[in-house]
Amino acid sequence: MSLLEVSTLRAGYGPVNVLVDLNLVVEEGEIVVILGSNGAGKTTTMRAISGMIARSGSITFAGQSITKSSPDAIVRAGIAQVPQGRGTFPELSVEDNLRAGAFVRNDDEIDEDLAHWFEVFPRLRERREQRAGSLSGGEQQMVAIARALMSRPKLLLCDEPSLGLAPLITQELFGIIASLNRDKGLSVLLVEQNANLAMKIARRVYLIETGRIVASGSSDELSADDSIRKAYLGF
Amino acid sequence: MKSLVTIHEGRAANWALRLVAGAAVIGVMLWVPTHGSNPLIDQFTNAFVLMAAAMSLNLLLGYTGQISLGHNAFFGIGAYATGIIVSRWGWSPLVTFPIAFIVAFVIGVLVSLPALRIKGIYLALVTLALGLVFPQFIKWRKLTWLTGGPRGLDNAGFNFSKKRRTYEIFGWNPFGDMRGQGAKPFYFWIAAGVVVITYLVCRGVVKSRSGRSLIAIRDNETAAAVMGVNLAGTKAMAFGISAGLCALPGCVSTILTNNVVPDSTFLSIAGSITFLIVMVIGGAGSLWGPIIGSGLYVFITQKTGDWSDEKNIPAIIRPFFSWAKTSPGTGIFAVTLIALMFVAPRGIVGVWHQHSPRLMRIVPRRAGTGTGTGTLVDTPVDDTVAGEL
Repeated sequence: MSLLEVSTLRAGYGPVNVLVDLNLVVEEGEIVVILGSNGAGKTTTMRAISGMIARSGSITFAGQSITKSSPDAIVRAGIAQVPQGRGTFPELSVEDNLRAGAFVRNDDEIDEDLAHWFEVFPRLRERREQRAGSLSGGEQQMVAIARALMSRPKLLLCDEPSLGLAPLITQELFGIIASLNRDKGLSVLLVEQNANLAMKIARRVYLIETGRIVASGSSDELSADDSIRKAYLGF
Repeated sequence: MKSLVTIHEGRAANWALRLVAGAAVIGVMLWVPTHGSNPLIDQFTNAFVLMAAAMSLNLLLGYTGQISLGHNAFFGIGAYATGIIVSRWGWSPLVTFPIAFIVAFVIGVLVSLPALRIKGIYLALVTLALGLVFPQFIKWRKLTWLTGGPRGLDNAGFNFSKKRRTYEIFGWNPFGDMRGQGAKPFYFWIAAGVVVITYLVCRGVVKSRSGRSLIAIRDNETAAAVMGVNLAGTKAMAFGISAGLCALPGCVSTILTNNVVPDSTFLSIAGSITFLIVMVIGGAGSLWGPIIGSGLYVFITQKTGDWSDEKNIPAIIRPFFSWAKTSPGTGIFAVTLIALMFVAPRGIVGVWHQHSPRLMRIVPRRAGTGTGTGTLVDTPVDDTVAGEL
């Protein structure tokens, strides 16, 4: 049984369907990347999985159907999303941002988790009283990731974490995502335009075009394919 | 930035500071009703009414980011709940507070239903319609049997006996002379009680998990939703609590004047605007903002109340205001508002937050209790990624 199984997914905004017939699978403990150009439906896929927009078809997570679930039920089931762009709450402090990530939890280990993620992201600990809006772009993206992890997810959805970040910062973020996956066994579904970097940390890759998956395979297979390499990797 | 004094949260100095601040507030609160003049007590009571209303609006607009220009209607619901119940049925005014809260809460939740779909200027228009319709609705001829129509309702406050009655506690007389409408300190305490309750509710909401979710919705709705915040339920709840709280000072206003009329300032749309302005000047999205803003507003309008007569204006600023045929209080406040928007868009509390660290800094406790073992501390870049990139 796969962790996440999406089949014949249709979703969109109002009468317009962005995703026509989308199928993808995320196995437990792997990083999967969805590559695609602007308007291909990458963000829509993320929003459909996290329950933010109307959708039909079938989405199964850890054996349970979440096709009809509300966003908060999906977070409770164990899917956390790092939204696109600067997805922080700018007026809340860094610490409160992280606490907001534990919103669906009701146990008494929240403080422990908080301390733990401050160990993992020492730069956030230094800035924990600061307004999240006053942080740099890379730090804000770290806040968004740490905040998502505060809900103790089994699957992390990352929507273009590299957007608007300098290459070095992007590299550091991808390093963090890779080590979260390696050390903690976190499964990650990543949406990216930055194909080079994404394919290095991913085990498998999906290519999406106008709401459909047009190619899939392991990172090595896809980067070996000439036409795909030209279109998405640019060499 | 270096500050003169650094205090650690939870240490003795921090507690001493809190003690001094608390003692100052309590000192003023005890001195004014027992030793202050009647006009001074009135001024405080009026400020309390405005404070509670502005605080309720602050919970909705300052924290949840949903604008409401219809809070005069919720204020009016409170005013009329007291008016109708006391004047028509003769109940004690004190029991009208919970009833007013519940009625306004329910109507607030109903009004929030469109607010779940619309935002910003459109929500402003919907609530503006509510604020405009409310006084007309009260004056509706078919409701005269209940609301008293344009003439309103009389005998809607406390009905004290003519005999002199005082409640002394060890020689201290907190309520003053409770005869007719002369019981100024008594009204002071009622209004103060409403402010304290409103403050505690707002503080309770804001400092809790749900408070974080309110600010989260204001700052980034999408991110809040993917954190598991129930948008519709949270917004409706915020609207309901805000409306219910706004009804409480409405009750007080009826008790104070012993009557209620549909065209009084706070029941018309001017009420909503006033709540909004004092909230913004004090500092939206902070607990103390509306309190400071209301205090300042009442102080200025009171000080300038008799400035329509040139002789009453202090000589040094007389040339600036001698043209005014009416009291320039509202005008001064309007100019202050415009000026503040340039120098302090976050209000007076915002100025304090910006500059107080030079003077004093309070260091909060360290986060968490556990000592998690860091795994990424030394390896920020994974080796599979690093190297060739």
